[in-house]
Amino acid sequence: MGSPCELVCECVKRGDASELSQLAAEEAWRIEDKFSRYTGGSAVARINEANGEAITVDDETADLLDFAATLFELSDARFDITSGVLRHIWSFDGGTKIPRQADIETVRQNIGWSRVAWHRPELQMPKGMEIDLGGIGKEYAVDRAAKRLREEGAPPCLVNFGGDLATTAAPRVRRSWRVGIEGKTPDAPERRIDLRQGALATSGDARRFLEKDGVRYSHILDPRTGWPVPDAPRSITVAAESCTQAGMISTLAMLKGAEAEGFLEAQNVRWWCYR
Amino acid sequence: MSRTEGNKPISAALAAATCSLLGSAIPTQVDAQEPSDWDFNTSILYYGEDNDRVEDFSVKAIARRMFVDDRSLSLGMTVDVLTGATPNGAIKQDVVQTFTRPSGNGFYSVGPGELPLDDTFKDTRVALTANWQQPVGDTSLVNIGGSVSSEYDYTHLGINAKVARDFNQRNTTVSAGLAYSMDDLDPVGGAPMPLTPMLDVGDTSNRMGDQDKDVLDVVLGVTQVVSRTLVVQANYSYSYSDGYLTDPYKVLSLVDGVTGDTLLRTGGIPVEGGPSHQFLFESRPDERTKHSLYTQAKYYVDGKVLDISYRFMTDDWEIDSHTVDLRYRWPLAGDSYIEPHLRFYTQSEAEFYLLSIDNSQPLPRYASNDYRLGDFDGITAGLKYGWRTGAGNDMSVRVEWYQQSGTVPGSQIIGNQANRDNYPDLNALIVQFGYRF
Repeated sequence: MGSPCELVCECVKRGDASELSQLAAEEAWRIEDKFSRYTGGSAVARINEANGEAITVDDETADLLDFAATLFELSDARFDITSGVLRHIWSFDGGTKIPRQADIETVRQNIGWSRVAWHRPELQMPKGMEIDLGGIGKEYAVDRAAKRLREEGAPPCLVNFGGDLATTAAPRVRRSWRVGIEGKTPDAPERRIDLRQGALATSGDARRFLEKDGVRYSHILDPRTGWPVPDAPRSITVAAESCTQAGMISTLAMLKGAEAEGFLEAQNVRWWCYR
Repeated sequence: MSRTEGNKPISAALAAATCSLLGSAIPTQVDAQEPSDWDFNTSILYYGEDNDRVEDFSVKAIARRMFVDDRSLSLGMTVDVLTGATPNGAIKQDVVQTFTRPSGNGFYSVGPGELPLDDTFKDTRVALTANWQQPVGDTSLVNIGGSVSSEYDYTHLGINAKVARDFNQRNTTVSAGLAYSMDDLDPVGGAPMPLTPMLDVGDTSNRMGDQDKDVLDVVLGVTQVVSRTLVVQANYSYSYSDGYLTDPYKVLSLVDGVTGDTLLRTGGIPVEGGPSHQFLFESRPDERTKHSLYTQAKYYVDGKVLDISYRFMTDDWEIDSHTVDLRYRWPLAGDSYIEPHLRFYTQSEAEFYLLSIDNSQPLPRYASNDYRLGDFDGITAGLKYGWRTGAGNDMSVRVEWYQQSGTVPGSQIIGNQANRDNYPDLNALIVQFGYRF
């Protein structure tokens, strides 16, 4: 998952808490192994190594691809799971290295979900293109872990994978789960949210950026241009029924750059946006 | 790419897509609130003693503003309206008795066999408190506060500070607190010279000027989490009072050494009025040192909480007291609870507690028949019911019954006094409404 994961549960016995943590962890590992582009043999690795051939995928992978396709439409092509290749030329380490326009153009040849032939259950991508489910994976894992815990009849739990979180049920012993959102900078005070039910997801990262000639470039890239989204907020947190939904709204808002707040207002969810 | 695409609501489409992805409708509503910066705690209390004695109506409000990093400012205000009558320290007689009012401007009568009560005891008191709380580092907390109160014959000014530090992964907390107050008394008519007689209406020749007292309190405490279900606490308190500690409105009856009956006044009562018998104003030492030991345990069992505490107090007026307090909070459906309460209190009398002054003996240095300094037991039994309102705020109502009964040491009972009930027992009703939002 690339970040610390934890489970907070209202259990009386340590043994119960251990068991539930194990269930949540298993679901997280399963999804990571299956959809990580780094894990050899994973569904995504197979797709990315297909070299232009058609690949048949299983139901779960198909569901995620359908979801990605819907997001591509809903975001007017701003959310594109084929845009991962931009990581080859952009590295957001706080440095000043901006790629040349020519390099960006070269990479852009391999971006564009509309070039992918997706007809469930078959996916065929032109050679050189890759898919990356990193933008959906973590939030999806949170929801699946929460679902698994509900199915096991667990007491109220809070699943927290690196700040993307979901409740399985409203807590019984306390009034609500206490969650903190990081402030504008790592040293700034947190904002507190009392989460009783639902999910929270955050997009953006105060630490990953480039700065050159007084201009700050966020790490949110617009696949249509290959450049960072101008005027992207530092971070957006959204509360919604599921972590996937919260995560997608916050991601889509980020991709809207200067219009992030306007977009969030129109979605009828609770949101927090820092610039 | 159009710059004026507008922002369409995509939630419905996204929700549908998420449903398909996750394979089921999400059974939860969203409830994510930012906690309010303000917290208000208000209550209205009624306290009423039987037999036309003291009644208190009190309104209290504390507003607390939270700042980042757990700092907070609390401001509190309490208004008390006191009415009713309180024993003036004289003993019952089989004849009518008259007393000059504390102001010296009038008099009041008490029937035969009645407990002498002073009903000029009406007052409104306003008290204000302020407190600043500041965490220091990761494990310490500092509190600094001040208080001020005013009523027609009494003003109080105080400051307090407390430091607490956590140890053992926050399982142990050690705290130390200090409070200092400076109080001014300006009794109606002036504070009477101790052990001088109650004079006729209009005669304030035995009155002194303003009085004051200072009080220093020190508290040292330890709280310890013993297990998942048990927290215990122990405190030691030290209190030192210095100054005018006497009740300026209370008297003692001067009685015959054989019959125990209150001596009649010499000479006739003037037209304006005056005391029918001989009464001497009480006198207490001008210092008092108290030591207290307090322990408390909160025990969680199966959703219910049992809270037991015990306090022992001893002072250099020779008063010893013990308090045992039990509360049992029982959660009910829908965020409500019921909490029965039982409290037992027992106290031994002050060294100078005296039912009446024996005329045939030398005058004591200190003497008081204030029933609150006597040997008595008190029982409180009550019930509190609390619930959460639709808006998510806490409301509660509490009804309690208090009964106090005491005894006068046998050695102090003289002659005919043995035929009477000498300690003014009391029953009181307490009703309180609380609202927190």
